[in-house]
Amino acid sequence: MNKQTDKRLAATAALGLIGIIAAGLVFGWSRFWANWILWFLFLLTIGLGSLFIVALEHVVGARWSIPLRRVPERLSSLAVLMGPAALLALFSLHFLYPWTKPENLQNPVMAGKAVWLNERFFIWRVIGCVVLWAIAYWVFVSGSVRQDRDHNPSFNLRARRLAPLFMVVFGITITIVAFDWISSLEPEWYSDIFGVYIFAGTFLAGLAATTLTVLYLKSKGRLPEIKPDHIYNLGGFLFAFTVFWSYIGFAQYLLMWYANLPEEVLWYKERLQGAWGPLLLVLAIFHFLVPFFLLIPREAKSNPKFLFWTAAFILFSHWLDLYWMIFPVLGHGMHLGWPELSFGFFSIGGVLLWIRHSMSRGADMPVGDPFLREGLGFRL
Amino acid sequence: MNSGSVLGIFDSAELLVNAIPRVKAKAQGRLEAYTPYPIEGIDKLLGLRKSPIGGMVLIMGVIGAISTILFELWTSGIDYPLTTAGKPHLSWEAFIPIMFEVTVLFATFTAGLGMLLLLNRLPMFRDPMLSAKSMPLITRDKFALAVEFSGSDLDVDSITKLFQQAGAGQVEVIAKPAPVGAVSPNFFAGLFATIAVSCVIAGLLMYWAIKLFPVSPPISHMLVQPRLNSQRADGFFKNGFGMRLPVAGTVRRGAVSYSITSQENAAGLVNPYPRTNEILNQGRRTYNTYCSVCHGILGDGHPMLTAAYGAKPANLVSQQMIDLRDGEVYHVIRMGRNAMPSYTADLAENERWATVHYIRTLQRAMNARDDDIK
Ligand code: HEC
Repeated sequence: MNKQTDKRLAATAALGLIGIIAAGLVFGWSRFWANWILWFLFLLTIGLGSLFIVALEHVVGARWSIPLRRVPERLSSLAVLMGPAALLALFSLHFLYPWTKPENLQNPVMAGKAVWLNERFFIWRVIGCVVLWAIAYWVFVSGSVRQDRDHNPSFNLRARRLAPLFMVVFGITITIVAFDWISSLEPEWYSDIFGVYIFAGTFLAGLAATTLTVLYLKSKGRLPEIKPDHIYNLGGFLFAFTVFWSYIGFAQYLLMWYANLPEEVLWYKERLQGAWGPLLLVLAIFHFLVPFFLLIPREAKSNPKFLFWTAAFILFSHWLDLYWMIFPVLGHGMHLGWPELSFGFFSIGGVLLWIRHSMSRGADMPVGDPFLREGLGFRL
Repeated sequence: MNSGSVLGIFDSAELLVNAIPRVKAKAQGRLEAYTPYPIEGIDKLLGLRKSPIGGMVLIMGVIGAISTILFELWTSGIDYPLTTAGKPHLSWEAFIPIMFEVTVLFATFTAGLGMLLLLNRLPMFRDPMLSAKSMPLITRDKFALAVEFSGSDLDVDSITKLFQQAGAGQVEVIAKPAPVGAVSPNFFAGLFATIAVSCVIAGLLMYWAIKLFPVSPPISHMLVQPRLNSQRADGFFKNGFGMRLPVAGTVRRGAVSYSITSQENAAGLVNPYPRTNEILNQGRRTYNTYCSVCHGILGDGHPMLTAAYGAKPANLVSQQMIDLRDGEVYHVIRMGRNAMPSYTADLAENERWATVHYIRTLQRAMNARDDDIK
């Protein structure tokens, strides 16, 4: 373990923290909280996406991904780490979320949604989600780490039995995340597919982060038994889910564009005005066209260096996607400056530190899994 | 023997894999392996060229995407602009789903048909390999490496020896011509070309047929449907009209209130619009649309309707009408007069005044003097 890297990461995070507080004092707390939500969701989606990958492996009984599983398992600790961040984010309600203002109950749409969008229920939902994720983490990840020591195959049975249940929990909680934290920023907006859209981004973020970490570890000589075949599969997944994300994103846009109903198109109208319109174009290029064409060739999907940068690019596009959805609510044009950067320093520095440390504990692979050998022997 | 193949039969996949580089180094001719199950990495060892299917799929997919976009641009932008749901004719949003589908269609068809027909040369009546004596073994638990040759004088004996050195349990020589497909690749090229050309020709023929015989529209679901046609008699409503009249008191959008009740009182109104070309054109359009049915295209009160229409529309170019003030004409348009309907609901303010201008032009034109010609 390289102490110097640790120090640098810690310094970055500390610098970011100072910047964050200064930004709050200088630019006001709305922007501070918007940043908070943005970065909180960015990390949360990575964590949840990774947790989903872990559970997906148990559901379908995949063998090829077993040697890689420790990586998404460690990454999914972000979903738990973001629990406190979610609770702190509750302070943003009065700054960002119009439905918390009593006078908005005059608005018939918000009044109609008040059954769901009221503070008390909101807080309970947040707590409920955080608890459910923590339980899932405990079942799938802590269980898997325990198996490293006792080599007890009963973990596989339990995980396989519980994973389908988690799929349901995941489907509901990710929709709640999408509706509560993002779409309720504009409570007059209606979109039923929005949960799926956020799910697509979440899964992609989890995949990209997993790919990044696997390739980074491999370049450092850890995970030596991972073959190009495994890496190819990660690349294939990234490719497939960039297309899925675009499909859902466009499906949402197309239907709203066709129907042209005020309660649907206003959201887009706002996000096509000024600099946001070009940003959407950039998003379509970065989040779809570039990764799509980069990942078409077979070689691209198994070339570690190439895939590393493509995955990093996809992760950045995911951040941009969230930024494009959240930041227009601040109004007054596009906010992008050192407050956002400070948050980035703080979150990324802190998270890298966290992940480095969690990856330095225990084995790099689920060595107790009885199917590990089979996974290592995986060939395309 | 000038073409055929020499088969080395091995007992295990490992022996086969080990033999490949040794045979490859010494023997000329194409190498091919026959195994009961796929062996990882064997295509690289054999030096098989990369399958062109990926490139073909990409190219056909791109062709599908581009040709669909162009086709949609042409049909909905140029050839038959049809307004749907108030969207602009060239709405890229609406093009995407079709483009997506056609791209997928082209890509999958290329992958499936290209692999089966072009690359694997199916359907195939006979493959000499199938008549090899060792074939039943190969489908069970033996692994074969074949050196194929054609045209060249291959030293069968030395290859046999080579195989034996490499650990082949058996060697079989098949003296048969290279596999022949039931139909040559050229046939498929020709077939596809014919289909493509016939599609284009059929499309063009259809296009011209529709243009030449518009009475027989190819798809008429939208024309033949139970509905009320404007300007047609229909038994649906009590009064027998297919068309509804606007509700009493209807005014045109953006109407200004008007309180003058008699024509004389309106005499003082001044036409607020200048007599520009544009306004006169507007007036002509309005007059021809709304007024000419009764007052005639020339304003002389002799329209085609006269016989059927009971009342007698005024001759707008008579001296009596020339003497009317602009405001009085305007008042009649606005309020109507006896059998003449009011145009409160149909015409906008500027259209009414433009019509007044145009009537003046008609009056001047119908009462031309000799010296106008000079
Ligand atoms: C449905 C047939 C009809 C249409 C359409 C019609 N008119 Fe008339 N119009 C008449 C009849 C009938 C009269 C004679 C009314 C009377 O004096 O009893 C008349 C009279 C007039 C007069 C003479 C009023 C007067 O002071 O004697 C003017 C001017 C006139 N129409 C202008 C127009 C203009 C302009 C339009 C188009 C916007 C128009 N009309 C459309 C039937 C029509």
